[in-house]
Amino acid sequence: MSINQRSNTASAKQTAGQPRLSALGSAFVSQGFTMYPVLLLLVIVGAIVAPAFATTVNLINILEQVSVLGLTTIGLTFVVLIGRLDLSLEGIVGFAPMLAAVMLVPTTAGGIGIQLPPWMGLIVALGTAGLIGVFNGFMVVRVGLNPFISTLGLLVLLRGGVLIVSNGRSIYSPGKAFTYLGSEKLLGIPVSVLVFVVVAAVVGYVFQYHRYGRALYAIGGNEEAARAAGINVDRVIWSAFIFAGLLAGLAGILMTGRLDSAVTTQGQGIIFSAFAAAVIGGVSLGGGRGTIVGVVSGVLLIGVINNLLTLAQVPSFYVQASTGAVIIVAAVLTTLASRRSSGVRTRT
Amino acid sequence: MDNQRPIVEMRNITKTFGSTRALRGVDFTLMPGEIHALLGRNGAGKSTLVSAMSGFIPAGSGTIKIAETIVEANGYSYAANIRNDIAHVQQTPQLFNLLTVAENLFIENPGVRNKYGVVNHQRMVERTTELLSTWNVDIKPDALAGELGAGTRQLLEIMKALGRGVPVMILDEPTAALSNAEKRILFEQVKYLKANGVSFIYISHHLEEIFEIADTVTIMRDGQVVRARDTVDTLDLETIVTLMMGEKTVRSGRQDHTNHKAPALLQAKGIRIDGFSTEGIDLSVRAGEIVGLAGPVGGGKEALAMILAGHQKPAAGAVVSPQGDLPTIGLVPTDRHASGYVGMLGVRENVAIGGLDKLSDAAGFIKLGKEAAHVGYLAKLTNVIASSLEQAVSQLSGGNQQKVVFARALCRDPHVVVALSPTRGVDVGAKEQLYALLRELASKGLGVVIVSDEEDEISVLANRVVIVVKGRIVDELVGDYSIKDLVLHMEGVA
Repeated sequence: MSINQRSNTASAKQTAGQPRLSALGSAFVSQGFTMYPVLLLLVIVGAIVAPAFATTVNLINILEQVSVLGLTTIGLTFVVLIGRLDLSLEGIVGFAPMLAAVMLVPTTAGGIGIQLPPWMGLIVALGTAGLIGVFNGFMVVRVGLNPFISTLGLLVLLRGGVLIVSNGRSIYSPGKAFTYLGSEKLLGIPVSVLVFVVVAAVVGYVFQYHRYGRALYAIGGNEEAARAAGINVDRVIWSAFIFAGLLAGLAGILMTGRLDSAVTTQGQGIIFSAFAAAVIGGVSLGGGRGTIVGVVSGVLLIGVINNLLTLAQVPSFYVQASTGAVIIVAAVLTTLASRRSSGVRTRT
Repeated sequence: MDNQRPIVEMRNITKTFGSTRALRGVDFTLMPGEIHALLGRNGAGKSTLVSAMSGFIPAGSGTIKIAETIVEANGYSYAANIRNDIAHVQQTPQLFNLLTVAENLFIENPGVRNKYGVVNHQRMVERTTELLSTWNVDIKPDALAGELGAGTRQLLEIMKALGRGVPVMILDEPTAALSNAEKRILFEQVKYLKANGVSFIYISHHLEEIFEIADTVTIMRDGQVVRARDTVDTLDLETIVTLMMGEKTVRSGRQDHTNHKAPALLQAKGIRIDGFSTEGIDLSVRAGEIVGLAGPVGGGKEALAMILAGHQKPAAGAVVSPQGDLPTIGLVPTDRHASGYVGMLGVRENVAIGGLDKLSDAAGFIKLGKEAAHVGYLAKLTNVIASSLEQAVSQLSGGNQQKVVFARALCRDPHVVVALSPTRGVDVGAKEQLYALLRELASKGLGVVIVSDEEDEISVLANRVVIVVKGRIVDELVGDYSIKDLVLHMEGVA
């Protein structure tokens, strides 16, 4: 940034002229639009090579498939924005709906025999997810554990917890009200897609325009500065873990709904995809940087690639390996774009 | 001694920081077995000169000869070349808090390891015990350095440096954190080493120590030597202070807006800064008053300010307001890079985080119009110059970054502003603007607390100066004091 680019007036006004284009470019990157051209390119290529790709049914199918990953990634973004992480979200996706399911079904179907009404399942699942978030926040803020190790431990614990409460068996048909969000359609669009869109819009708006969002970015950018500015840093960190947990719980409910069953392996591996989607979408793992617009692009990119590779009948072993390769390439692209546009090195 | 060859010879040393010329062609000579006091006010260039000598801050130009090594300075690091000839004890101890006393003392010391680099732990502990008993320090070799008091830490740092067996030692304010007993031990050791031919460069703000321990005195002012190698006996206190101050009379822009009628805005009652404090601090801040906290580095003035601002818990006592609820307090923290601004965010977001509650509606959503207006007003008030309010603060100059920190502190419309090192690393122009801002705030009836290591800064701003040494208030200056009064009071000789 050269001196002559600064205006000399005392008040800070945008200088007109040559930097406008580059300002537009960096706004494009910092608002999280970096990956949308790539996404568009992929959709066009997909439409050409695979006739089945660009159909309404398939596109809606992609959206439905990514809604679970999407909610988990948005949850993860809360904690990553403040420079933390939460591996236990994967455990929540599996555990919260499983705990609810065993409370809903009769003992003959694997339940524990209390047979709550199905709508209570939503409260149990979300309540469990929220409490796990409270626990994570407690460990990080009060006990002072590194979130990597505390949430890793909890992830493993929850994996075991799923097997304990379900006795190692999947629970089928937990109840209409409980599976509604993940299985039904509204105006031809799956409810899960609507939930994802609404959550993304609300969270995106909060991140941009709510004091809570501002506090998240400030803490992620410089925790000590946020503290000195009078932000209650501990409370924000704690609540970010709670929101992350709640969104992972919601993701788990959608997944159980779509499968009409709580599977013991539910959610396995989703945390890796969530991290990948976040980073592809321009979220800095060092904190302070990232938008929901970007996160959505990362989630869509992963969904589209998976879908395309499947449609192209690539053997499933190769699907997994090539997804990994694509994640690395996309992360490199995002990092380079953000470094070029802002001149600030981010730790991704 | 005159027939000996000097052990350190520095010729025409220069060093600039940005636009500040910290050293303007300085010559310095040190003879073997000499204790050479280097005197001058804060900012005179003493610390820069000794840092150039040890290579901690490479000099810009000039020649440095230490023992047998000759260095032509060109701004690049040469510390490695002279590592075996000189040791530099800095103002603040550079210890590893998570290592033990023994590990700290013998880190990188070849005496305790074999040829494969394996450290002999038992030998290390034995030598540490020996060393600690020589110094009469009552701590265990396996205590963690982080758990020790400031004085002990300072002693450890000095012991570590002295233990390296180098011919030249720099002691930069070694006694700032020491008790009298600890000071006695230090002086004994220094005299013992001097008798063995070790040379010392001794920097201190306590002038009476100079008469006690030094042989020779060099006085610096504004990056130049004003008196070189005077024998200490030929000088008296008055002469030294006059030489340090120079002829120039500092233009005092001090204004007094103190409101003596209204009750104080903020009151400290029996504050003990930490567990080592022995005496409570009582202090009040009135509306329109600028209170300056002065004193040696590590004396507790920063901690006191953070306690007043409500950002640190005192070991005892409380900060209250005679007017009822505690007033809103804006904080300008001491190190803007560490805790002043969020570099990746723009000016607007940085300023706004200082007053998110004020700028948002009942549901917590930011009122964008109000935000733009308020931040724009504050940016104008503090004279922030940026290409736009969206420019990342990391891209601004130091002065503008500091103005952003001020704007943030003012975002909640505080009644009291606590500013630590308000103009550290800021150019002259921005400095004047910030001074004017602080005076303007006081004239509007805010209470202002500033903490500074620069006497100039204190004297152009503060209506009342409180001198904090070793966690307690030792002196206070009110009303019409001169900078010379201030310096004398800070040296503890007035």
